[in-house]
Amino acid sequence: MHKKKLRSTDQCEIDMTPMIDVVFQLIIFFVVTLKMTSDKNEDIFLEDGKNGVTLTQDNMPPTTLEIEVGRRGRISIHNATMSKWQLSQILKARVNRNGNEFPVLIRGDRKTPHENVREVMDICTGVGIWKLSFVAIQEHKAGK
Amino acid sequence: MAYERKRNKGESPKLDMTPMIDVVFQLLIFFVVTIKQEDILSKLSAARPAPDSNANPSKQPDLITIIVAPQGFVFNGRLVSKDELDRKVERYSKLSKTAMIVIKCTADSPHGLLVQSLDICSKHGMTNLSIFSI
Repeated sequence: MHKKKLRSTDQCEIDMTPMIDVVFQLIIFFVVTLKMTSDKNEDIFLEDGKNGVTLTQDNMPPTTLEIEVGRRGRISIHNATMSKWQLSQILKARVNRNGNEFPVLIRGDRKTPHENVREVMDICTGVGIWKLSFVAIQEHKAGK
Repeated sequence: MAYERKRNKGESPKLDMTPMIDVVFQLLIFFVVTIKQEDILSKLSAARPAPDSNANPSKQPDLITIIVAPQGFVFNGRLVSKDELDRKVERYSKLSKTAMIVIKCTADSPHGLLVQSLDICSKHGMTNLSIFSI
């Protein structure tokens, strides 16, 4: 009688191992993909551009320079504000090192007046960079 | 004898999993809630001619000029909406994909309109784009 009862509790027990495996996999995934601090200006609202070339890790070589232009004309790279003179110095140093063929992305807010974007473009042409790209949103994933 | 041995082996190494599962679920919920999806971005490329070369860009024969003003786009001297501009660029793109499109921006036009016009040109496969500031 006693022996029979023990067997019945044995049957009820659920094997936790697969669940714990899956949960750990999920946790590791989220830890790896989590970015705590962002290195870009989060206040910039980009314009939609569904027909542009999708930006992926592959077509953004490490030499890519992304210049941010805020709504009121604040110029920054990786969210570090700089003056026009500083930007031209950085671009000059880059051109000396990599030539003028590296990709330059301008991340301008949709409401920035063109004169502020023009200043950045003029600095780029001043150091011999003719080909400029503008960043737009191809597909909204983050909530507005 | 056999029963005794089975019972000892089955119970003594068993750990209480409950606190670990609690903590792991807390962590999981934290990461699920804090994760933020990133937008998929695209890039629209255009050439910026040197300041001295914009002396007379209209000498080129097949040249399409789009003026970006604060109110909208001006095409062939007429204010057009985004859809109209889309249709007009489509018509020109059927004639020649390599025709040069000059986008002239006024100083007070919003950057978003420039990006919209570049997007329309890119949609119809026009690649010979240049931006002027007026």
